[in-house]
Amino acid sequence: MNNKFILFLGLFLSASVAVMAQDNISPARKQAIDSLALEKVKDLSKYVSIIGSKETQFSEANRVMDRAEELFAPGAEMGVSSINTQEIAYYKVRRYFERLMALNYDRVNITWYDIQYISDLERQPDGRYVGVITVYQRFEGTSIETGMNYKDTTKKDITIYVEKKQTQIAGRTIEFWDVMLGDVRVTETSA
Amino acid sequence: MRKTFLIIAFFSAIIFNVPGQGLGGPGTIKDDGRFAASTKQLNQFFRRFNGEESVDGTVRFYPEDSLYRNIPLRKGFLNILFDNQTSSVSPDLKNQFIQTTLSEVYPHYLNFHREGWYAEVETDFIFKGKREKVTLIMKIQAEGLGYEWVIDKVIFEPFKTLFNKPVGDQKDFLHPLSHELGFMNLRRAFQDSNQPESFTANSYKPDYLAIFLYEMKQNNLRFETVTGLKFHFFQIQGWYFEVNQFNRPGFNTGWLIANLVRLAPGDKETILKYIYDQE
Repeated sequence: MNNKFILFLGLFLSASVAVMAQDNISPARKQAIDSLALEKVKDLSKYVSIIGSKETQFSEANRVMDRAEELFAPGAEMGVSSINTQEIAYYKVRRYFERLMALNYDRVNITWYDIQYISDLERQPDGRYVGVITVYQRFEGTSIETGMNYKDTTKKDITIYVEKKQTQIAGRTIEFWDVMLGDVRVTETSA
Repeated sequence: MRKTFLIIAFFSAIIFNVPGQGLGGPGTIKDDGRFAASTKQLNQFFRRFNGEESVDGTVRFYPEDSLYRNIPLRKGFLNILFDNQTSSVSPDLKNQFIQTTLSEVYPHYLNFHREGWYAEVETDFIFKGKREKVTLIMKIQAEGLGYEWVIDKVIFEPFKTLFNKPVGDQKDFLHPLSHELGFMNLRRAFQDSNQPESFTANSYKPDYLAIFLYEMKQNNLRFETVTGLKFHFFQIQGWYFEVNQFNRPGFNTGWLIANLVRLAPGDKETILKYIYDQE
């Protein structure tokens, strides 16, 4: 049990960025945090593709939804708007995934564009840093019965929270930056 | 002609730099340059305006980098930071603005943390059971260990018609010897009149934000959704510009300058008054 915990902690730390005690984020540190944040976004994009795929079994989709939910800070929401309406519809992350899973298509294909944009990190009043990563997703859904083929491209602006945390390993205090995903703004694009 | 060539060269540089970006997994779609060219975040608008990132947006430049705030880089960016499809900004005005901004003697930059820029957020609220439009004017302020967006003013039509102080002989008043009667005639102000604002000082201005917050606390106002967003900038001395989001096909998309005004003395106050729309 104890060994398992140490192994888990080791893996967790290897995915985090160990730092010295400091509050300002240097360009090099920013780059390391960007990489870590991007890994989380890649994980999310992978999970979204799996959840949306019609080949994914219900139980597997639920398991992946649990994993995807773990990437997010508590209470995170998805704000969705389309080209026809600027109005934002709000969904809790879990609800958004459930809706994605329940889409009424026989075939769903979700792919991602080879582009992203990472903002600067700004400090919040509570000392945590916040940034936004923008990615683009292509969705294709086909209904065999009606022959309907729906396609859209959405821009996803994903909040990232960056926080310095501490942990004890073999009596030593190690500090590291941890990244959590936050609210996601989903905008349909004209592309 | 030369300028068109420069813009095309700039876009081409963006397009050919694309493969370095991306989520990287198998099956990713190759961007044809449109998303790379798009000013995807307001953060990118700031960086492009100031010349603080590479043409493709993958490298953030810092003061120690040779290309940090590089003038040719900024010039390329500034040309593509305008809505070049629907805006009524004349090429001449745009060039004057770019020249001022890129002045070698006194270049101008945008600063995220400095005053002089505002967000105008269009929202829908339910007010006493009816859906109503509310505009929030927001600004960045220092707070605690960092910064936060705060509501500076609210524009809400039902409040604007709430206070309609009459003028001249239409206006009720408390006569100047009311004090001798121990203000017994306040009854006139508070019971008989349906325009109690008649009895306020000339300098009185209703604080709509205070009323807005009060109504929210009374559960008379319930937030529904955000329907629009734009930004107003006064940070470049002598100029005002508005930044809107353009979601359309093509390369000239994202957060772009939609409106540009050269400010004469007093113009800033006039535009601010128009934006705040409190009267």
